[in-house]
Amino acid sequence: MIWFYLERIFGYWPVLLKGMGMTIGLSLLSLVIGVVIGFGFGIIRAGGNRWLSRVLGLYIDFFRATPFLVQVFIAYFILPVLGIELSAFAAGVVALSNMAACFIGEIVAAGLKAVPTGQREAAIASGMTRAQQMHLVVMPQAVRIITPSLVGQFVLLIKDSSVVSAIGLLDLTRSGWLIVQSVPNGLLVFGIVGIGYFLICYPLIHLSRRLERRSQTAFL
Amino acid sequence: MIEFSGVNKWFGPLHVLQDISLNVAKAEVVVVCGPSGSGKSTLIRCINGLEPFQSGSLLVDGTDLANRKALLRLRTEVGFVFQSFNLYPHKTALQNVTLAPIHVRRLGRAQAEERGRALLEKVGLADKMDSYPHQLSGGQQQRVAIARSLCMQPKIMLFDEPTSALDPEMINEVLDVMVGLAREGMTMMVVTHEMGFARKVADRVIFMDRGAIVEMAPPETFFTAPAHDRTRDFLGKILHH
Repeated sequence: MIWFYLERIFGYWPVLLKGMGMTIGLSLLSLVIGVVIGFGFGIIRAGGNRWLSRVLGLYIDFFRATPFLVQVFIAYFILPVLGIELSAFAAGVVALSNMAACFIGEIVAAGLKAVPTGQREAAIASGMTRAQQMHLVVMPQAVRIITPSLVGQFVLLIKDSSVVSAIGLLDLTRSGWLIVQSVPNGLLVFGIVGIGYFLICYPLIHLSRRLERRSQTAFL
Repeated sequence: MIEFSGVNKWFGPLHVLQDISLNVAKAEVVVVCGPSGSGKSTLIRCINGLEPFQSGSLLVDGTDLANRKALLRLRTEVGFVFQSFNLYPHKTALQNVTLAPIHVRRLGRAQAEERGRALLEKVGLADKMDSYPHQLSGGQQQRVAIARSLCMQPKIMLFDEPTSALDPEMINEVLDVMVGLAREGMTMMVVTHEMGFARKVADRVIFMDRGAIVEMAPPETFFTAPAHDRTRDFLGKILHH
């Protein structure tokens, strides 16, 4: 019986593959956008302008304190009311990269604050502009500190991308929903879907651990 | 080169610099000493604008420190050596030395490296060019830090307790480099308790206490006939033990 189901499930491999492709594509695109915006957020959060930092902090906290599913619904159902019409894919990317930016922003800010003040002072004393202090001295050290948690954040992003199946995007999770309609063995179908996520995320978890070990010995 | 007149600074209610007036001439070496919390570090940190002050005026190499725009340019002319070295841990010794010359002075990489190598050789670290700070001893790190400041070809060098974080056996290797600099005619202000260094090269020694300059005299007078009780007290504490 199991073999019969397995055979039928694998008959749907194009759907599974498509779903996996969507999950990877969506995550990757959101990741890139989230990292770019997240670093900007982090620099503002750790920067000297208190007022700006607080406003941004509130924005970030809002998205850290609301369920991601709700955020996806906001992007897909509420933005159109405000005149911003988004396809399901675009809404997914907006919601995912926004959430990633918020989490990454806080990670980056923590990393920047962890760089000793003496480093910035040495850079200031040598006549560097604020931008030079940041990109030549402070940011490279912060990046080393935060890389493990950043990779960990990527794993969370990939897993959270499954939520976009709720607005009809055919990602890995939704491909499971489709297959289970005609192969009535949820355990088997979603077992395979789970293995799909595991295959994407496990190498990243490994990478994060290796980076963690390396960053602990980086400056010793 | 450095002209303090009536400089005052407060940290909240704490009056950390009290009406400081002081002129340092070109090629002069001034040693500043005093108990901790006396404001001596704050004093030299004002000179390159690391600390702002609230009143009075400070001219460095003809530039008014109140002019925050001229500050960037001024800092390229003033070298600063920190107690805790503050080398960039992600850069090799040579990269530490050439970073500001390349990016701030806009020197070509080859030229900056040539200058950097010569300076690292000069401070006795010819074999450590490609070492990272964590691979160097404290004394070696501080010598790299001095070379890093010198590579900008500054007109003034400021030292903020450069040997206080060092093990005793490494103090001399750093002081030797500083003595060499002083003898070459560098304008220097040095916060230190190394009185041997002060005797050897200082033109004047300043004693600070509670934010004010208590005594300022050439080393022979300063050490043999200090005018103030507080100076005598302090010297008694640091010289006889």
